[in-house]
This record gives sequence, structure tokens and C-alpha cells, in this order.
Amino acid sequence: MIMKKKNKNQTSPVFNNRMYFFLIPALTFFLVFWIYPLLQLFYYSVTDFNGINYDYDFVGFKNYVKVFHNGTLINSMKNTIVYAAVTVVLSNLIGLGIAMALNTKIHLKGFFRTCAYFPALFSAIVVGFIWSYVYMPSSGMIASLVSLLGGDGAGFNPLGDYKIALFAIALVEVWRGFGTTMIIYLAGLQTVDDSLLEAGRIDGCSEWQLTKKIKLPLIAPTITINVILSVINGLKAFDNSFIMTNGGPGKSTKTLMFQVYETAFTDQKMGRASAFSVLAFAFIILITVIMLYFMNKREVEL
Amino acid sequence: MGKANREKETFLKLTPKTLLLYIVIIVFCLLVIAPLVIVFSSSLRTPANQISPLMLFREFSMDSYKRAFENMNYPMTLLNSIATTGGSVVCIVLFATMASYPIGRLKTKMAKFLYYFFISGLIIPSQMVIVPIALTMNRLNIPNTRFTPMLMFITCSLPFSVFLFSGFMKGVPVEIEESAYIDGANLPIRFFSVVFPLLKPAIVSCVITQGLWIWNDYFYPMVFISNKAQYSLPVAMLQFLGDKENPAQWNVLFASCVLCALPLIVLFLILQKQFVNGIAAGAVKG
Repeated sequence: MIMKKKNKNQTSPVFNNRMYFFLIPALTFFLVFWIYPLLQLFYYSVTDFNGINYDYDFVGFKNYVKVFHNGTLINSMKNTIVYAAVTVVLSNLIGLGIAMALNTKIHLKGFFRTCAYFPALFSAIVVGFIWSYVYMPSSGMIASLVSLLGGDGAGFNPLGDYKIALFAIALVEVWRGFGTTMIIYLAGLQTVDDSLLEAGRIDGCSEWQLTKKIKLPLIAPTITINVILSVINGLKAFDNSFIMTNGGPGKSTKTLMFQVYETAFTDQKMGRASAFSVLAFAFIILITVIMLYFMNKREVEL
Repeated sequence: MGKANREKETFLKLTPKTLLLYIVIIVFCLLVIAPLVIVFSSSLRTPANQISPLMLFREFSMDSYKRAFENMNYPMTLLNSIATTGGSVVCIVLFATMASYPIGRLKTKMAKFLYYFFISGLIIPSQMVIVPIALTMNRLNIPNTRFTPMLMFITCSLPFSVFLFSGFMKGVPVEIEESAYIDGANLPIRFFSVVFPLLKPAIVSCVITQGLWIWNDYFYPMVFISNKAQYSLPVAMLQFLGDKENPAQWNVLFASCVLCALPLIVLFLILQKQFVNGIAAGAVKG
């Protein structure tokens, strides 16, 4: 009852407005190094600024028109969606599957968990190097194995094939990311009350029914958070394109963020990169809002 | 898991079904760590050894490590990594817990707005805003040193950390604070000596999740540091970018990969429980 009263009052003598002073350091950093630069993007997007020379002109919406017309925007949006979809689906399915397998009473549980999580410890750049070797034609890991088994190892070149390069680098992200997803699912599964499962068993449920009717609905919040985190992560895709393929072959692995980086640093077209960023930002917000909307809806239904 | 529970813990009986489960898990784990095993075995060869990396552990030499150690300027880069990661994490914990205090405690519209304001930062990719950030740094006359990336590490960690701490703050009972208030404790004392110690589980989680990405991040140091002596470990790896297509360089490249990952691997093996709990707590309780 006392608690309820307090909730109605906005502040109390104990928790008063002076508490806002605690926000000062964090808010300063956030505004100066994150929000202000973000707003500047809108300004630079209508200029022909090159990032160095401050003698720039206003060019109106030319930059926006340009990124639409030269196809870079649509191409990198498509690549980002494919990359994000592959990583979200695979890292959640594999993460959940392994978490469920490890949530049973098997031997060496800790050891398997460590193995599965291990890749998540590595820096993106180290992961990029390791997988460049794994995917290398003729002398790389997979190619050598294929040759060893009598196949055509020299012809195996996933990073050189524009049709599969994007999937190949998305798979690397799955390799690095599913361990984290798995640990979060494991924690979620451990909150499921054993007595509920026991009751289900007594009522004659099969393992599959137990999973579908009891476990999955109970860990719905965990699924939500994992999907949200991996979608956010997938939309930011940059590292693997930057380190392993440099956007190629052709423009098949240029993601939104790779394209922004390339336009700004390699092509030195800051104005155009800003216009691109503004559109990419709108795109990311749109996807996030749609995702949150569906996630909330689904969780209520369950 | 209680004591009585642990004593009674039984493992699955070996039926065809559980055997299949074991086989699936073992094969899967082998697939996952196979690249790492090959990298480790190749790194133990002399740089000139050209036999296929698939021939595991035929030679044990430290020569590739010596070369990698020198190329990376290892002691200096390691020190830079430790200093920037450590410094950033300390600042993040301090700033984010402080910011989460009013956000988690006050029931005002303002507090709610600030919560969403901070966590909306989660969706902004750093590549997108890097050029305006660099220009802002210029305008503020912030020089490019090994410590410049820390400003960005702190800023980028705020959204997630505020999300984590303000969620956790709701579980810290207000009664303790109210009695401290009656005993005459003012706001800063209440925060630092009453609330802050109670946030310990969330602080561990924050240190691990944020420390992990900061340690591994190469992007901000790559943009902000031009002097080789100030590189952190992942940036020192960038110089090998041209070598990755060249099998003749692999042994040294792999040795430097191992050297780069080694500190975190050691830390992980020592603090495994904290790592696992910390990563899960960040997402599940938040």
C-alpha cells in the first residue's frame, strides 16, 4: 500500500529532483560524442563536403538522388537484410538448440559450453584472419579437406563467388555469435520450473510437446531479447566485409555500414556518405520499430 | 542448485537416444573449434614450414611467436590495450550507475524519456557517425592519442549499461535508502555507500560485456590513432591484413592471432563462471 502511494507522487523527499545531477557525466558524453555528431549528419548530407576542406557548397538533395540512382543504397540494403536474416535465424536456432541439449543432465556440460562460447572471445579482426584461411581456395582448411577426400579443392572459393560470398561471411558471424546467444538461452531455460515439466510428463507429454507447450512459451522473453540483440547486431554488419572481402567480389558483400565507410574514407565523399547514413539510419529505425511491434504483439499472445 | 540437489544429481543413462545427443554435441563442438585448433597448431611451427596446416602438431617451435611478438611490439600494445580497456570500463561503471540512479528511481516522465533516450543509442552503428565524431574532436581540440578511443568506448557503452543498471536498480529495495535518509545521509553518500555496493552483480555483468567488446574493438583505435607505438592489440593486427592471402606468412599470422587473443582466453578460463553469469545477467534480468 505504501509503495502504491509513492508511485503516484512523482517525487518524494527521499527521491527528489536533485537526483538529476547524477546524469551530468553520462549525458555530457552521450550528447557531445553521439547525438551531436548524429545531428550533424543531416547538415553535411546537403553539402559537397569532403571531410577535410571546410570550403564546401550546399548542393540540396543531390547526394540523396545520387545514392538512389547509382544503386549503392538498394544494393547494400539488400545485402544487409540477407546478412542480418541469416545471422539472426542461424545463431538463434543453433544457440537455442545447443542450449537445450546442454540443459539436460549430460556429462562434460561445462566443457561443451566452453567450446561453444570460445569463438565469442576473439576480436573480429582475428576471426576475419582465421576464416580467410578456412575459406581460402586450394590451400585453405575446407579446400584441403575437400581435396583430401578426393573432391575439387582448388575450385572451392566461397569468398570469390559473388553468389555465396555474403552467406559465407554471415556464417562467420554465426560462428562468432551463437555462443553468446546460447549462454543467454541457457540462463532462460534454467528459470523454467522443473515441477511444471514434471507435471507435463505425468500427463503424458512427449519431449517435443514439453518443449513446444512449456519451455518455449516460458522463455519467450529470452527469445525476444536474443532476437532483438542479434537483429541490432546484424544491421550493423561491417567487420567481415571490411576484413575478409573488402566488399567484393563486385559489390556483393557491401553492407550499409561498409558502404558508408567506403564512401567517406576511400572515396572521400563526406556529403554523400552523410546522405547515405541518414537513409541508412531511417532504414534501421524502420526495421527496429517493425521488429519491436511484432515482438511485443507475439509475447502478449503467448 | 542446493546442496541436497547436487548430491542427488544423476546423469542421463546411456540409451541410444542420449548417445545420439552426445554424438551431435561432440561433432558440433569439433566443427566449432576445428579452425582454432588448426590455427594453434600452425602457430607452433617455424615460419618457413610449408606443409599443410591440416597435419596437426608435428612441430613445436616458438620461432613464429618470436617474429609475431616483435612485429606487433607486443609488450607496448598489450599495455595500451590494458590501460584503455581498464580506464574505459571504470568510467562506464561510474557514469552509467550514476545516470541510472535517477532513471531507475524517479517515476517522472523525464526519467522515462531519458531511459528511452539512452537506450535508443543501441541502434546507431559507429561507422555511420564516425566522420562527424572525428570533426567534433577536432573542433574541441582533442588530440589523437592512445586515450582518444576511450571517449568513444565510454559513449558507446552507455546505452547498454544504462539499460542494464536501471533495470537492476528496480530490484534494489527503496526501504534501505529511506532509512539511510532518516539517518541523515545526503544523496551522494546514499548513492555511493548504500546503492552502489548493492549493484555489484550488475557491475560484474557490465564490466564483462563491455570490457569484452572494448578489448576486441579495432575500429575506433584504427580511426583515432596514427602513431604505431600507441596501437592496441587488435589494431596492431591490422598490419597483417595483406598477409592473409599469402600462405607463406600464415604461421606468423596465426601466432599473432593467438597472442592477440591470449589475454582474454586466460582471463576467461580463470573467471569462467563470472563470464557466463555476467553475459546472461545482462540480457535476462535487464
